[in-house]
Amino acid sequence: MADSKEPWKGEEEEEEEELDETNYIAQKDAVLFAIDVSESMLAPPPPSDDKKAEKDSPTTAAIKCAYQIMQQRIISNPKDMIGVLLFGTEQSKFQDEDENSRGGLQYPHCYLLSDLNIPAAEDVKTLRGVVQQDEEFKDLLVPTKEPVSMSNMLFCANQIFTTRTPNFGSRRLFIITDKDDPHASDKNARSQAQVRAKDLYDLGVVIELFPISHPDHEFGRSKFYDDIIYRDPAAGEDLDVGPSNFKSSGSDGISLLSNLISDINSKQVAKRALFSNLPFEIGKDFTISVKGYNLLQKQERARKGYVYLDGETKQYVEGETAKFTEDSVRQVEKIEIKKAYKFGGSQVLFTEEEMKQLKTFGSPVLRIIGFKPQSMLPFWAAIKKSTFIYPSEEHYIGSTRVFSALWQKLTKDKKMGVAWYIARSNAAPVLVAILPSEERASDTTKVPIIPAGLWLYQLPFLDDKRDLTPQQKPLVAPDVLIDEMRKVVQQLQLPKAIYDPSKYPNPSLQWHYKILQALALDEELPDQPEDKTVPKFRQIDKRAGEYINKWGEILDKEFREYQKEHYGGIDGTKLKRARVDSEEPPKKKVKPAHSGQTLDGMSVSELKNVVGTKGLSKFTMQELKDLLSAKGLDAKGKKADLVERVEQWIEDN
Amino acid sequence: MAAPNKQATVYIVDLGSTMGECNSGRVETDLDFGMKYIWDKIATTMAANLKGGNLGVIGLRTDETNNPLDVDGYENLSVLRPLGNMEMGHLTSLQTKITPSGTDAGDAISAIVLAIHMITEFTTLKSGKPGSYARKIVLLTDGQGMIEDEGMEQIATKINECGINLVVIGIDFDDNEFGFKEEDKSSLKQRNEGVLRRLTELCENGIVGTAAEAIANLAIPDIKPTRPWSTYKGRLTLGDPQKYETTAMYIDVERYFRAHIAKPVSAKSFVTKIPMESTQSSNTINGDIDMTDAPANGDDFTVVRSSRTYRVNDASAPGGRRDIALEELARGYEYGRTTVHISDSDENVTNFETTQSFSIIGFIPNDKFERYLNMGESRVTIAQPINDKARMAFSSLVHALFELESYAVARIVEKDGKAPQIILLAPSIEPDLESLIDVPLPFAEDLRVYRFPPLDRVITASGSTLKKHRYLPDDDLVGAMSDYVDSMNLSTAGTDEEGQPAEYMNVEETFTPIIHRINQAIRQRAIFPNDPIAPASPILTKWSQPPEDLASQSAHKLEKLIAAANVQKVPPKVKGTRGRREVLKPLSGLDVEALLNREKREKISPNNTIPEFKQMLASPADDNVVYDAAKQIANIIRMHITNSTGNAKYEEVKADMKVFREFMIEFELPEIWNDFIRDFKKRVAKGDLGGDRRAFWNSLRWINLGLIDKEALEISDVTEKEANEFHSLDSDLPTRSRGH
Repeated sequence: MADSKEPWKGEEEEEEEELDETNYIAQKDAVLFAIDVSESMLAPPPPSDDKKAEKDSPTTAAIKCAYQIMQQRIISNPKDMIGVLLFGTEQSKFQDEDENSRGGLQYPHCYLLSDLNIPAAEDVKTLRGVVQQDEEFKDLLVPTKEPVSMSNMLFCANQIFTTRTPNFGSRRLFIITDKDDPHASDKNARSQAQVRAKDLYDLGVVIELFPISHPDHEFGRSKFYDDIIYRDPAAGEDLDVGPSNFKSSGSDGISLLSNLISDINSKQVAKRALFSNLPFEIGKDFTISVKGYNLLQKQERARKGYVYLDGETKQYVEGETAKFTEDSVRQVEKIEIKKAYKFGGSQVLFTEEEMKQLKTFGSPVLRIIGFKPQSMLPFWAAIKKSTFIYPSEEHYIGSTRVFSALWQKLTKDKKMGVAWYIARSNAAPVLVAILPSEERASDTTKVPIIPAGLWLYQLPFLDDKRDLTPQQKPLVAPDVLIDEMRKVVQQLQLPKAIYDPSKYPNPSLQWHYKILQALALDEELPDQPEDKTVPKFRQIDKRAGEYINKWGEILDKEFREYQKEHYGGIDGTKLKRARVDSEEPPKKKVKPAHSGQTLDGMSVSELKNVVGTKGLSKFTMQELKDLLSAKGLDAKGKKADLVERVEQWIEDN
Repeated sequence: MAAPNKQATVYIVDLGSTMGECNSGRVETDLDFGMKYIWDKIATTMAANLKGGNLGVIGLRTDETNNPLDVDGYENLSVLRPLGNMEMGHLTSLQTKITPSGTDAGDAISAIVLAIHMITEFTTLKSGKPGSYARKIVLLTDGQGMIEDEGMEQIATKINECGINLVVIGIDFDDNEFGFKEEDKSSLKQRNEGVLRRLTELCENGIVGTAAEAIANLAIPDIKPTRPWSTYKGRLTLGDPQKYETTAMYIDVERYFRAHIAKPVSAKSFVTKIPMESTQSSNTINGDIDMTDAPANGDDFTVVRSSRTYRVNDASAPGGRRDIALEELARGYEYGRTTVHISDSDENVTNFETTQSFSIIGFIPNDKFERYLNMGESRVTIAQPINDKARMAFSSLVHALFELESYAVARIVEKDGKAPQIILLAPSIEPDLESLIDVPLPFAEDLRVYRFPPLDRVITASGSTLKKHRYLPDDDLVGAMSDYVDSMNLSTAGTDEEGQPAEYMNVEETFTPIIHRINQAIRQRAIFPNDPIAPASPILTKWSQPPEDLASQSAHKLEKLIAAANVQKVPPKVKGTRGRREVLKPLSGLDVEALLNREKREKISPNNTIPEFKQMLASPADDNVVYDAAKQIANIIRMHITNSTGNAKYEEVKADMKVFREFMIEFELPEIWNDFIRDFKKRVAKGDLGGDRRAFWNSLRWINLGLIDKEALEISDVTEKEANEFHSLDSDLPTRSRGH
């Protein structure tokens, strides 16, 4: 993680690595929050007796949400842009203008709280200021008395996207509002908004609506928003996940904030495919197309880089690599470089075409070889995270229903497909198991975590297998001990008997960014890292302590008996009552009294002496072997055998 | 004991005149045939590039006698290559020596004695003790020479004493198991085969094989041996033994790699050496090894090294950037777009402190774990081997988990200061090993939540749920799929050693195709530099297709499935879909076009360029509208560039240009765009666009904003080459007249 490797050293091993997915997710993404500020959006939810009930107004919840998402994205997508626009405010502010600008306001009652950009520490601070109701933002959340023009807000967003993110792959406008019909009585204003929405669509901006209902008012999408929202062309599937809806009710225990966050989280990163339209060959001449997604991605700390402190502002410095020849330190152009393999002190060369040919095993495909029960996937056969696949109708109409039928069959019978898989052109082929997943939603927010679909689970080749040669027969524990351990295991099941990743944030990653944030904002450093991965020792003690203790006693007893049985001479009572095992580190084996003399250098009488003092077993295997081979005897077998053979030889001589 | 990583192998190659014959219907000589095996083995050792890979070669039945055992009985034996590291030059010179001689004299067993002598000489340490080597003698012969079989017992004893493996590869030797029998075998050869077989039987590690089998087996990839790699040695705890002395437990354990992705050997970067002086031949610079003529294996290459340079923004420097020495830089990170400097004194605070530990968080039933959540490679944990009490304690945990069909979830810090990981431990009980195998689990941050529609129902945009839909399979399709999946059952499609049905495609039978493909090609290229590379051996591509018999058995099930599925291939999109743009409507289906038409947008506004340009061209009445729109957007583009302070407007203009170009392709009017971009280039060159815009021009190349050529649109009259050259500002600046 903390990669302290000097960058220039890393370069030496630079090789034609398999293309990482990061190349595919490097596409830039921009999200602009448009948060409605109005009387009803600022009204706190109805009072409730529930202590957990939230007290945030919808607007506050939305800003808090943007604040949290901004912090998350700095960690997860450090190159993406995010911005926050309030609309319906008394105050107005745009990129370079405010109330005092000459020539009047372009976008009245739109307040650009944080311009669309890669977030800086200042942006985080601003949002937090609003959330905490700091003095300077006290007058900000005051709604205007005038009617708010939606077309004005949409065009304001248009200008932000046009100027800030002209070439972004994905641009989205998140509207959070409770007004389902902002221009109920003004047909003209309504048409203008519709036109401005079409502009946004043509610009390539996708509008996502996060509608908020109140206990006495259900948000109606068809009243206004269905006229301004288009299907996301990038989302691809013709199927729909169903609309979201949020309630500011204050009483049902689930806060609007956490609901918003989890829903926005599921939409905040544009759903980008790892690959599109991969032919999925289910049988000969029977192909459908699928898209692949990277639902699992190990989130790492960014690499430590270099910063320049002497300029006007601090600068992060990206290094550039230059290539030189070793002999003459001449700088080398990329096209000059040839690839060769080291071979016997020289190089073996292939032409570029030959290199290509070597790496080509065919065009991209996912081809089913057959099916096996899922139980035939050994637990150890794990080498890489899996890729999620989902059908696409783009190349084969009917892909979805075929995919669904396959998914149903694999799910029902707990089977898996086995397939030959070439992910991209020139990618090395691998074998994968195709595993089905069933939908799983979060218990608290009901937001789906795991979608229904299939996963490509890479299988190891023999080359990837590492074997551990057993050195001794296992010492199988007696049943009484196993029985007691079973009680311990039964006592300590995880909640709901599952591993729920959302309960375990990566403590090292979180700490790193907390520190960075504090340093960036020049604040005091937090002192105690939070680590939810540390086992709950108190609970373990409470629930299973008794059984563990009992298990420990049984172990002591059984082990004494085992020792008596195996090393008869030793009196078990002499053993210190160690808790479970060696409390002191095992003593270094005392080198035997052979005073540096090697076995095969000894005379027969010397050897007899050694045998007499039972010192033979103190010599190493190698020494024993050397002696035996020197005497022309079989030098193979266990140590005891070797000792016996040596003793036999000494006796015979 | 781990295998020694040094080897000493002597190859004895029979070069008797009979080796020059072609037998058993082969068109190559017996020597060439048998050498396939030897060359491959030699090349394998050389390709490993290890210091300990020592090879020696003895010629048997050579015209000359050239060996250190200068006594009777060792005639016609030549040491062609003494034991040692072999380099490319040695290989090529060796190749010239491997040709059939003009004699039949020379004794194979004498050659073996010579080889034993070479090996013991080479592998005996200065102390007089034998060093730790893997010793091996490989004899390739056609068994047509005279072999003296006296004293074989002593020779075998010597071989065993020295711990030498003896491999005899016989050309057309009989082999029942492999199924080869040579007809009309001479009685001499028959006798010799017997003699050599007896010798190998006397050896503890001796084997005779027929050459055909050995060559066939070359296709079975060698797996690179690995050593056990420990990732953790210490305690596995349950509870906190420090705080709860009697109600927490710990077991001393060790954790090792269980799976690790093997990578193909990597190619290194080289460039052709440029001679110091143009008249000097490059060969003379590095002439100590005998050079080969083969152009493919060159020492005319020099290694490429890379170094890093750093540049900072500096308005006063040319180009706004200047180089800076690494010493002038401090260390830090980026937090969003804020640069965070971390001083050395802060370093300690910023690290997440951890101490080495391995502790169980809790347990889950094994059917509650989804295998696809695995994040990486597996590891295996065993009890500390010398600690019987730990072994007993560990065994009870393994068995308890096994009996309860449960897994353990644990937190591990492999070394002090390393980040904690969460892993899932599964019990594994084998006759000779009890262990816990683990895989890494995702943290909250590692799981990306994307939303996908369910697969067993359709939710409409209005939120209602459908169970019947063209996206959902009907009962026919579900049934046909089920039958097909059942018929393609691999769990019994293979055969085990006894010929019983067994799992098809077991891990043990699969080899990483790319690794062995490259290794194979390197060996081949090294030995036969002028041959084209051979196709991948079938063993590497065996799993690329379903097993043939199974597929043909279930062919009718597949037919039914295909019929039930009724999948239709979408014809590939044709470029230039002029006028056939789909009219897009919002969710409600509102006719926005009508609204737009009412708005009478005729003039494209510079601050809403893309939407209005697109809308103008949504359904143009005639080409004049297209010309008009193009003229307007071209004006806006030039205006933006001219008014751009520095590069402020560059990105926006590129976006406009992208749309402009796309639409002209779509409307099949490439000349409008091409005229515009030619003109634009001219203006850039002349500095007409508000200053020096060359940087902007150069950046267009990388986002493909040049001429529309034939590749992009067939009707274009611009060739690919022309389009390529066009990007350069220096290239034939005045526009070339089009159309010839």
